[in-house]
Amino acid sequence: MNAVRIVWRITRLNFRAQLEYRSEFLMMIAIGAVWQVSVIVFATVLLTRFTGMGGWDSSDVLLIPATRMLAHGLFVLFLGRVHGLGRHIQEGRIDVYLLRPMPVYRQVQLEFFPTNAIGDLTVAAGLMWGALARSDLDWTAGRIGYLIAAVLGGMLLEAALFTVVACASLRFPAADYWGRWLEELLGTFGSYPLNVLPRAVGGLLTYGLPLAFVAYFPAAVLTGHDTSVPHWLAAASPLLGLVGYLGARLLWRWSLKHYAGVNG
Amino acid sequence: MSGSIEVRDLSRTFHTTVRRPGFAGALRSLVNPQKVAKHAVSDVTFSVAPGELLALLGPNGAGKSTTIKMLTGILTPTAGEARVAGVVPYEERERNARNIGAVFGQRTQLWWDLPVRESFAILRDVYEVPKAEHAARLKEFDDLLDLSSFWDTRVRHLSLGQRVRCDLAAALLHDPQVVFLDEPTIGMDVVVKEQVREFLRHQVEERGRTVLLTTHDMTEVERLAERVVLINHGRLMLDGTLDEIRRKFGSTWQVRATLADAHTDAVPLPGIALLRQDGPRVVFGPDGPEAPTVHQALRAIIERYDVTDIAMDEADLEDVMRTAYVQAVGDA
Repeated sequence: MNAVRIVWRITRLNFRAQLEYRSEFLMMIAIGAVWQVSVIVFATVLLTRFTGMGGWDSSDVLLIPATRMLAHGLFVLFLGRVHGLGRHIQEGRIDVYLLRPMPVYRQVQLEFFPTNAIGDLTVAAGLMWGALARSDLDWTAGRIGYLIAAVLGGMLLEAALFTVVACASLRFPAADYWGRWLEELLGTFGSYPLNVLPRAVGGLLTYGLPLAFVAYFPAAVLTGHDTSVPHWLAAASPLLGLVGYLGARLLWRWSLKHYAGVNG
Repeated sequence: MSGSIEVRDLSRTFHTTVRRPGFAGALRSLVNPQKVAKHAVSDVTFSVAPGELLALLGPNGAGKSTTIKMLTGILTPTAGEARVAGVVPYEERERNARNIGAVFGQRTQLWWDLPVRESFAILRDVYEVPKAEHAARLKEFDDLLDLSSFWDTRVRHLSLGQRVRCDLAAALLHDPQVVFLDEPTIGMDVVVKEQVREFLRHQVEERGRTVLLTTHDMTEVERLAERVVLINHGRLMLDGTLDEIRRKFGSTWQVRATLADAHTDAVPLPGIALLRQDGPRVVFGPDGPEAPTVHQALRAIIERYDVTDIAMDEADLEDVMRTAYVQAVGDA
């Protein structure tokens, strides 16, 4: 319970600290929202110019970016500080975290309050509301539960991917650039039904970088579309997110044990 | 043992890639990297007794910070072992963290965007310090370090001196038995430096804390430490008291005498060399390992010559350490 109290206290104080710089605070929210402009444009074009994409109705397609963005917003809010860890390492912040009787990963997350997540989540919630309002699906408790699990699984999968990059950063701080590439990739391909892409690219985004499990497969399961993988595997996307995250945390623990520091 | 530091044959090797010279060499290194092992710390053995302040000295890159990082649990040694207050720091990092406090002069452990007092409150929760105990300790630190005039300021707005004073307080708020200080007064003005030294002396003498200090400031060493460990190129060069070190490296005194008779040709005395003579003004210095102390030399010179004026210069600790560093480099 003490750990929860500390997390809550630090988060509250960090949030209050952000509030004190009013214009910076509002600007960060705006940046969070504007960052998603490509998704908003995508959704607008999809709804106004096309009836569907790759055999999916527009309203079904909309569920993909909505799920991905909501997962992403939650990732930024709860676990996003793991992205860009190389800078912390080069500044020696990790050394300071290692001096406290508290898990380092948790301290990384508590470094500051991610104000931009408010912008991300606002846009994502709007998009999800739009997607659900246009959906012809019967939103039973089971479907709603699965959607919530998919969003959480997507959040964990994104966190797993960035945690793996962070593990590499512990040894090679320049690995941070891979994090930027990963962010770009998630933003670019995360909103499409992957069956519109060439098979090789779709395969890469399924088995290489498991981007498809963040939103595409869960949306396909909810809307009843076939994918390139067995139904059970697509349906297990939220679970894979959890397993991937737990695996990434084990890798983090191992990497931290082998941390060699910076500047001797 | 409670509050002690035990280090035995501690080693840490880093593996780095050496880039060959020139553009072609850089390309060759890309294809066929040449790995080299850099022994940052090699077989270092020493101990610090509970309540003792030990200065860990050495030139830049000697291995001081790497040693401290292993003792604080930041780095795992390649070989050897260490115990800090009975705990192996790199095996039980969080348990060790509860027993120690650490200040790295160039880094802060406070939350950058928060007022200092909020950071203190967070640390109170992290270390589970009872509220009354926390308040009493904070008052004590405020009395010694004058923190209350700026502890409601955000860390990012503090001056270096204010920030390090807050870091010192933060490192000791949970009452650790052992404290590691890596160049704590670097960049501070003389007034704040003295305040910090006074604080550290109080922590050792009144609170009985064990302190391991690294610094390049010899005045600090002279004021605070009785014992010094000197390392260079990762190897322990010397472990002794300040007096022992002075005896070994510090016999660089000079005696300047003005002879009553300007025509006297001064000659060396046993263990005392004649460094130069300019008319009646003569300068003597130590000669060989059996040289007398400056006071013995003074007496011998007065007994031998009729002098009208005499003065002595004894090398300060900075000179002594310079000699020690140079000799250490020569030995390496």
